[in-house]
Amino acid sequence: MVSRSADVRKRVKGDMHSVSRSWLLLTGFILFYVIYLLLGALVFSSIERPVEDRLKSDMEALKQGFLNQSCVNATALEQFLRKVLTANKYGVSVLRNSSTSSNWDLASSMFFANTLVTTVGYGHNTPLSDAGKAFSILYALIGVPFTMLVLTACVQRLMYPLVYAPVGVLQRTGMDPRPATAVHFTLLMVLVMLCFFVAPAAVFSAVEVSWSFLDAIYFCFISLCTIGLGDYVPGEQPGQKYRPVYKVAIMVYLFVGLMMMYLLLRTFHRMADLHGLTNFLQLPHCEEAELDDDREPIIEDEPERQSPASPRLTEEGATKPLEPGSQPSYNTINKG
Amino acid sequence: MAAPDLLDPKSATHNTKPRLSFSTKPITLNPREESEVVATVMKWKTVSAIFLLVVLYLVMGAAVFRSLEQPHESAQRLAILSQKLEFLSRHSCVNQSQLEELVKQVVSAIRSGVNPAGTLNNHSSLWDLSSAFFFAGTVITTIGFGNISPHTEGGRIFCIVYALLGIPLFGFLLAGVGDQLGTIFGKGIARVEMFVQWDISQTKIRVISTLLFVLFGCLLFVALPAAIFKHIEGWSALESLYFVVITLTTIGFGDFVAGGSDIEYLDYYKPVVWFWILVGLAYFAAILSMIGDWLRVISKRTKEEVGEIRAHAAEWTANVSAEFKETRRRVSVEIYDKFQRAASIKRKLSSELGLSPASELTLPKKTVSVNFNEEQERERGEKEAGLHGLTTPLAKNGGLFLNGLDPERGDISIIEHLK
Repeated sequence: MVSRSADVRKRVKGDMHSVSRSWLLLTGFILFYVIYLLLGALVFSSIERPVEDRLKSDMEALKQGFLNQSCVNATALEQFLRKVLTANKYGVSVLRNSSTSSNWDLASSMFFANTLVTTVGYGHNTPLSDAGKAFSILYALIGVPFTMLVLTACVQRLMYPLVYAPVGVLQRTGMDPRPATAVHFTLLMVLVMLCFFVAPAAVFSAVEVSWSFLDAIYFCFISLCTIGLGDYVPGEQPGQKYRPVYKVAIMVYLFVGLMMMYLLLRTFHRMADLHGLTNFLQLPHCEEAELDDDREPIIEDEPERQSPASPRLTEEGATKPLEPGSQPSYNTINKG
Repeated sequence: MAAPDLLDPKSATHNTKPRLSFSTKPITLNPREESEVVATVMKWKTVSAIFLLVVLYLVMGAAVFRSLEQPHESAQRLAILSQKLEFLSRHSCVNQSQLEELVKQVVSAIRSGVNPAGTLNNHSSLWDLSSAFFFAGTVITTIGFGNISPHTEGGRIFCIVYALLGIPLFGFLLAGVGDQLGTIFGKGIARVEMFVQWDISQTKIRVISTLLFVLFGCLLFVALPAAIFKHIEGWSALESLYFVVITLTTIGFGDFVAGGSDIEYLDYYKPVVWFWILVGLAYFAAILSMIGDWLRVISKRTKEEVGEIRAHAAEWTANVSAEFKETRRRVSVEIYDKFQRAASIKRKLSSELGLSPASELTLPKKTVSVNFNEEQERERGEKEAGLHGLTTPLAKNGGLFLNGLDPERGDISIIEHLK
């Protein structure tokens, strides 16, 4: 009896210590994050601003030139431009060649639905009507967790042939677990980069006329991280041949690429687990470890009732930093 | 069995049937047991099923979007074309190619973030410090509005490197914030559970408190900001809500961006928006993971139920076949026994007739040696298999008892009692 209360006291103390430690870590993270943002802002600002100024002056000169050589007055031009820009925001172009293909035929709509559901969200064409916007809200709220579930399930299935088996092979050749996982992770990363960044970028830069290789790599990266700025979207050129097939192929690429990013992330998380990083930073463990915990229900029940870290609402936080919409947790609907 | 707690994934897994869990401590492949192989096979089926569902979901969405949006798009297109024609007709000194050239330049300028409509004298840049800060934020959270995007090669390369490091960093942050949110929430629930004197089951408390959490969070992170945006940005109610949802799920189209219009904003507006995005993301992550957990629990439950039904059916058939075998064996034994008895009686009679009628027929003793466990189990099995009625006359009644021949199998061995 005495020992048990001592144990409990020790555990409570340990809990309190870890709680204060977690708060400390959190504030540390927030501070670091703010500093990181500031740094990024400074760099972006210094790189982009001069270019922007130059473009502004170019535009001004263009307008003046146009106005000088024609009978149009400034206000009429402004009005016209405003209307053109509003239309352009929704993907409707006033230029000559683009009257044939619609932005909302079946393949493009499916592409749009896909960007919605994987949270990439390019924004090159967006719903115009109110009904479309309302439907997008509902569709996203249901579709995003659904997709995350699928991706996680696929990744779990893929872990066996792609991660566990090779690591097992490496270990059987005599390596320790830690270096084996590190070696395997680097190999996997190189492979993924080659297959999902370099190769598709080559294809894109060949198919899309105005894209350079760097632009294509930039596009691949921005899409696979689900940032999806939308400044580059493939398949939007007027007169694109086989547009539906192309769009579907891009969709498949995005999906598989996303899965591979997930896989990478998970492998990294397992590796960090093994190396003790997650313990040190008090981050959630990779969920397979928790499956082992589940095997001791009787012991766990009491502390679970008391400890407030209850429903793991956002536990998977860390496991999903990279991917889909960085909704870390829901991305890692990892319990399955 | 208490209803599994929907909200607590751990308890949900506690209440499931025999869990197929893999030991993963060493990363080496453990020699797989039969059950593990079964689990991976089943998962494959589930995965393909869910995958098909997702594809169907996408197709359905595509069809709906097309039917909703295409008419609008055609209307827009017609409108802008008529505008163009009107402009050209009104200003006859402009020919079409000049106009197209201008429009092309303007559009590409817009994509670079410079808005040529309106005076270009306003000194607000898209890349001043606060806007760049906002942009960095959208990159790291993977929202990626796209109303601002880097256009120089250096800017793009830096963007890639920046995102590579920043996204995991933000992920950790989000994990921390989400954890704290969950902790606060859990503490609140624990306190409520302590104070509540009524006799409500824990599950109900948890369900109600989760609903409250969802409602309260929606109010704080969705409804309130939407109202604020509607007021400050001048969007409609639906547009504000649309912006909030699209941002907090990190889809981030960029057609609506808080702080992206040409309005005079207060100084602290953008930082507050950024802070709201951070906490709102954690909240949304919590909600979406809950939805995902429920989906998984539902799929697990249906799998279980299917598994249970299958197990029942298998058990039933096993019982039935066992019973039939037993019956056949007993009947054949009985026949043999009776034959033996008839033969011995005949011998006795013939010997008596032949010798003397003095010997008595001793009543054979009735001994019952029952293997209790077996009987109970069999009874239970029979009950479940619904074959109870069939076996009772054979097993229990005073009239008929059977010789069990194989004591090793733990059968009931009872010596016949002659009536």
